Amino acid sequence: MSRKYLLLILAFGILLSVPSVIHDTFFLRIITEAILWIGLAISWDVLAGYTGYLNFGHGAFFGVGAYTTALLMKLCGWSFFFALPVAGVAAGIVALIAGIPTLRLKGAYFAIATWALSRAIQQVALVMDITGGPDGMRLPTFLHPEFFYYLMLAVVGGIFALYWFLLEKAPFGLKVKAIREDDQSAMSLGLNPTWIKLQAFILSAVPTGILGAIYAYWITYIDPASVLGDLVTDQAVVMAVFGGLGTLIGPAIGAIIIFLFKTYFWAYLSDYQVLYLIILGGVIASSVVFLPNGLWGTISGYLQTRKSSKQEPVSQGNSDKGAHHV
Amino acid sequence: MSESLLQVNAVTKTFGGLHAVFQVSFHMAPGEIIGLIGPNGAGKTTLFNVISGFYAPSKGQIHFKGQDISGKPPYKLAVLGIGRTFQVVKPFAGLTVLENVIIASFAKHPKRRQAEQHAWRILETTGLADRANAQASSLTLAGRKRLEVSKALALEPTLLLLDEVVAGLNPTEADRTIELILSLRNQGITILIVEHIMRVIMNISDRVVVLNFGQKIAEGIPRDVAKDSGVIQAYLGEAPQ
Repeated sequence: MSRKYLLLILAFGILLSVPSVIHDTFFLRIITEAILWIGLAISWDVLAGYTGYLNFGHGAFFGVGAYTTALLMKLCGWSFFFALPVAGVAAGIVALIAGIPTLRLKGAYFAIATWALSRAIQQVALVMDITGGPDGMRLPTFLHPEFFYYLMLAVVGGIFALYWFLLEKAPFGLKVKAIREDDQSAMSLGLNPTWIKLQAFILSAVPTGILGAIYAYWITYIDPASVLGDLVTDQAVVMAVFGGLGTLIGPAIGAIIIFLFKTYFWAYLSDYQVLYLIILGGVIASSVVFLPNGLWGTISGYLQTRKSSKQEPVSQGNSDKGAHHV
Repeated sequence: MSESLLQVNAVTKTFGGLHAVFQVSFHMAPGEIIGLIGPNGAGKTTLFNVISGFYAPSKGQIHFKGQDISGKPPYKLAVLGIGRTFQVVKPFAGLTVLENVIIASFAKHPKRRQAEQHAWRILETTGLADRANAQASSLTLAGRKRLEVSKALALEPTLLLLDEVVAGLNPTEADRTIELILSLRNQGITILIVEHIMRVIMNISDRVVVLNFGQKIAEGIPRDVAKDSGVIQAYLGEAPQ
């Protein structure tokens, strides 16, 4: 157990030293973006993997955070560090308003409702004047790759630590899992499912809004397609599903693999760009069929059965659900 | 009347045009075990669901500890002290037995460490401590029923609703569960139990309430109810003249 956390801390330490080793801004940018996607994948998984509710409008929170930052900085002249928390709060408020009616619904209806919400928000950004319509918005520029690298690392590292504490150490994690496993039983044990799902939804949305804020200031240009489009959600979903739902490490691994694949594909095989979405679709379809527990879930499930079959030869079949651990 | 822990007053639950439970009244004194019996489809489980808050009564009221609880959601009643089990057991299958009971313990012990200690104590009394770290999905039916009781007990309930916790067990397992129920009563927990096995109901109940087609057709001590002609008719059909 503790070896796993040691490895995580080691990985974090290596990441901390990256800018002093790699001076190539292209690579630094790729690593920064990979860290961003880790954040997006784990924040999506908080709701999907831990409560079982698939949010197909995750990109809306990202876009709301990005646009909130752009508007505050351009129209109100706020500094970035004041806009950043407000972006998180704005995404949280959207989650609260959207979650109260929709989290009472069964999972499939929730998925449709969140997808529709994200389309609606994208449409609003497209038609409004202050958001620049389809032309998007340009933010004050701050060209400092190392700054954004460290900021992204600190924020995503913070999100990871917060999630790990809340979901794996604090009572909240068990309550959330109880609702995923059986909400009727959870209710009879004193848990209010709608309230707990709402908390998880906000816990998923606020960091996503903050990541949107950092992205906007970093890239300095946002438009409805880039921050509110389907692709933000779709990639986060594929990364989390491919890596392994209901864990924190799984989606992080999924994010790294998928993002590196995408970058390689776009950088070196750009003639075949149209194939990217087809491959993404193929990956999700085949990982649902062949790796229902995701990459990490399959690996840790395999290790667990091997360990338990060593300890007690007559092990009870716990391999299929063994995936739900970090 | 102030003595009764639970007071069910003319409760009716209607689904569409069907009265699943119709004008049922009874009360429970603290420390009593009441058996709720009746043929299949008599409305026992529906009445359970109404008392535990899963359905709001269409008519009538339910008072618990003198407080009107009709229509309150289950998660509030659980904290007030009503624990229940489900006829179709509902373990949190992907979690361990211990985790299942810890979740229930949070109602009275919000801190993780205290909840875990409390869960261990519960598992000791229900005899599942040696399976604490097994996945709930790996338990046998008897184990799952025991887990169901453990979870309800972890709420530290004053009123426990047990829905067929003995049915489906072999005689040894059944005896252990009956022992457990009696020891819970000795701890002062009031118990309402639905069971099809008459041997169990007749032996452990202080009083029996009989439902048929949603209505109460008899109530009294087990011996008298067993002789009641209405009850015999409900179970065995009309006697030929």
